[in-house]
Amino acid sequence: MMSDQTAVAQVQPVRTEAYLDFLQMLSGVALVMFMWAHMILVASVNLDLGGGRVMNWIAHFFEATYMAQIGGPMIALVMLAHFVLAARKLPFKAREQKEMWRHSVRLNHLDTWLWVIQAVTAFIILIMGCIHMWTVLTDLPITAQKSGARIQGGWWMLFYIFLLPMIELHVGIGAYRIGVKWGWIKRSNRQFFHGLENKITLIFITIGVITLFTFYVLVKPM
Amino acid sequence: MGRPLKFNIFRYNPEDPASVPHMESFHLEETDAMTLYIALNRIREEQDPTLMFDFMCRAGICGSCAMMINGRPDLACHTKTKALPAEINLMPLPVFKLIGDLSVDTGTWFRNMNERVRSYIHTDKVFDPNADEERMSNELADEIYELERCIECGCCVAACGKANMVPNFMGATAFNRVARFMMDPRDQRKTDDYFEIVATDDGIFGCLGLLGCEDVCPKDIPLQDQLGMLRRKMGWASVRHLFDKILPGGDAKKK
Ligand code: HEM
Ligand code: SF4
Ligand code: SF4
Ligand code: FES
Repeated sequence: MMSDQTAVAQVQPVRTEAYLDFLQMLSGVALVMFMWAHMILVASVNLDLGGGRVMNWIAHFFEATYMAQIGGPMIALVMLAHFVLAARKLPFKAREQKEMWRHSVRLNHLDTWLWVIQAVTAFIILIMGCIHMWTVLTDLPITAQKSGARIQGGWWMLFYIFLLPMIELHVGIGAYRIGVKWGWIKRSNRQFFHGLENKITLIFITIGVITLFTFYVLVKPM
Repeated sequence: MGRPLKFNIFRYNPEDPASVPHMESFHLEETDAMTLYIALNRIREEQDPTLMFDFMCRAGICGSCAMMINGRPDLACHTKTKALPAEINLMPLPVFKLIGDLSVDTGTWFRNMNERVRSYIHTDKVFDPNADEERMSNELADEIYELERCIECGCCVAACGKANMVPNFMGATAFNRVARFMMDPRDQRKTDDYFEIVATDDGIFGCLGLLGCEDVCPKDIPLQDQLGMLRRKMGWASVRHLFDKILPGGDAKKK
């Protein structure tokens, strides 16, 4: 029996780890795309200075076509899958965590710190992202007025102002590192993409802050 | 008069039951064109003959003298003290087995690595000593040589977060070695053969892309480009295999 399996293993290499890493990349790309799109859609509330006509129209469109009802849970599933796939790379043993931390402090190397940031923000996003999705998706339809009322309650403002940079850091670093790991970012253009990542992250954080300001100050709650 | 330099050096002799790991300080006056090689030899000659560290070529060729210099792995023989602050911390490379003080056993690790990637040209051609040598274009020879320059110093391994976490991780030097053989037309191994060697969680799919390796390699070998190339090649090979398997008419065993 044993020798049969050995023979089979010799014919074809085990490919599971390759598939899982490939899926991790795909789920990462999908989530990056989603987060950027999400930010642009939510920021539509700024277009008429918090009046909410554009945002409500977009929200209505997504609900009328059932994209919110189906897409929302789908994104949650992708996020869950991404979490499971990416967490395979995280240190869960105390010894590994200690080594990684010691190493990061000792080497004090930017890209290594970026990864540590990504690993930490991941868990914050996992928890806060779930809370956010549950709150919004169990209270459809989405309207600017309802979101405004929630944010003006105060606690949600704190919640979002904290979650925003966590997401943008995780996503920006993630996009950069996908490029590095899959060889699209090379030694010759690494500086450029590093700069681009910083700029994109900053731009999205800025849009996010402006949008939160609009919700907090300009939107008339119901 | 040169700068007064302070060296804080890791001391520990695992062979000696009475020895406990600690840092010990030494003082030296900086001289012209002083390297850490010169400084360490002076300390050993003038202050403490029991200090352990490795050197051979003192010219960045043999790879023996890698150590953590103010937290960063580099070759002691090509590091000028002038480029460092007046206080210099020296530690042995992590990941590798400690022999004593600054000396670590990179040899066993690299031997194991070379065996794992089967680091030799695989061919079933029989060598004919009377025939002309096989030709290779200059450009290709240059490209192969670029990767062949690895001196097995271990800096990239010490700088790798993954290798620090997971002792079995192959490390950038192994990926570089595989890339070198993939390039070589004399090696008859196919993608699947390489796949078996590197396409695992301890191999290329475990690489986190932190580029510590790329940023410290004292020979400036383009490690980043090899990592990316390998992951992409191995990733696509697995996807193509999957498609061959699930699409009608495909035959995964062909390749
Ligand atoms: C549910 C919570 C999440 C957790 C626990 C998590 C965890 C992680 C971890 C640990 C990594 C590093 C993987 C590695 O180094 O190989 C990672 C990578 C990444 N994450 Fe997340 N993540 C989460 C949510 C998200 C979300 C919501 C997005 C996008 C909106 C995202 C985008 C990315 C990207 C693009 C990468 C890089 C992928 C790669 O290196 O292949 N993640 N994630
Ligand atoms: S790749 Fe560079 S750092 Fe790594 S062992 Fe070779 S020469 Fe040293
Ligand atoms: S890029 Fe990969 S091999 Fe290089 S230091 Fe990072 S994890 Fe290690
Ligand atoms: S002594 Fe040979 S590389 Fe430094």
